[in-house]
Amino acid sequence: MDSQSYMPVPPGIGMEDNFFSLDDILLSHERLPCSTESAFPRLGFLEKSSETRDIPEGTKMEMPLWLAKGLYERKRRVLSVELPKVYREGWRTVFGADPTVVDLHKMGPYYYGLGSQLLHFDSPENPEIANTILQTFIGRFRRTMDSSQNAYNEDTSALVERLDCLERSLFKAGQSGLNSFQLWEKGRSSHLTASSLVINYRKRKITDLQA
Amino acid sequence: MDPPEVEFLAEKELVKIIPNFSLDKIYLIGGDLGPFNPGLPVEVPVWLALNLKQRQKCRIVPPEWMDTDKLEEIREQERKLDTFTPIPSPYYMELTKLLLNHCADNIPKADEIRTLVKDIWDTRVAKLRLSADSFISRQEAHAQLDNLTLMEINTTRSFLLDSLNYMYKLRSNLQPGRSQDY
Repeated sequence: MDSQSYMPVPPGIGMEDNFFSLDDILLSHERLPCSTESAFPRLGFLEKSSETRDIPEGTKMEMPLWLAKGLYERKRRVLSVELPKVYREGWRTVFGADPTVVDLHKMGPYYYGLGSQLLHFDSPENPEIANTILQTFIGRFRRTMDSSQNAYNEDTSALVERLDCLERSLFKAGQSGLNSFQLWEKGRSSHLTASSLVINYRKRKITDLQA
Repeated sequence: MDPPEVEFLAEKELVKIIPNFSLDKIYLIGGDLGPFNPGLPVEVPVWLALNLKQRQKCRIVPPEWMDTDKLEEIREQERKLDTFTPIPSPYYMELTKLLLNHCADNIPKADEIRTLVKDIWDTRVAKLRLSADSFISRQEAHAQLDNLTLMEINTTRSFLLDSLNYMYKLRSNLQPGRSQDY
């Protein structure tokens, strides 16, 4: 059986995120450009470029997602978040034209996740952003499926490079299905192998100890 | 589900053998297995047939559909139609692999049969992928595919389910209606 010794918590896609998921934690480190709408007294040290003691109103800074989400309020007295350029009008038309050519890993490895989290900050372009993300996913689905189901026993790094993290996990699922089928067809599924934990731990054999 | 599990389920299918020993009727939990007389054909499940063959106590008669002409017909039909053709056995892939690995001497033209079955499999899997792609690109709610076998479904199961899950969650972004406020 193909069971692993460690089952990772999957990322929560959509507007929620899983507290324990490593992917979501790494995702929330992405920085977003935002501008402060009220002054932050005595927090000047956070902004490396300014030398003042406090951060005045209207400063443009980059904040990680976790901080921006926590500080954001509907009444918008504290923070206003701008969209990173990948989610803006220009890039949205690129995605609309042909989603398969874009290198999504370079555009931020968490394109889908970050896009879904951005919908928390009510920007007037929210419906278009949500739609673009969905259409991009659908457009790239065929490529991902074909490449994952046909690359057996090859170096897949060239195929995986341009995928973002969500697509990579899909690619892995497709590959594991293909690999287990091929393994079965060759008749090697009932071949017993040492567990990877034992091999990595490199247990010493009793004969070596006694010698 | 793993391929070995599907193979296990496939081993329940019945196949005709010609034993070279004699034994009275045996009563197993799953059913009765008829009296064995040397030289007379009897139907047994595949697991028993393979076991007897390995102990050289029987000769396996290939099922009727495992014949080059029949398989060529099925292959041609598979290539012509866009939908899945009904195939003679819901476990054709597993039975081919098991029977051809263990008793190739009892089956005439074994290599050709292997190639034909592989062709049929490739065509069907390609059709499956095509229909999965159109399912996702049109964002339909449900699809119906007839005449698929368990093994084919098994190879795409994890990939298709994961991608449909992701698509559902991305689609739920389109509806405003936030579940939590900070």
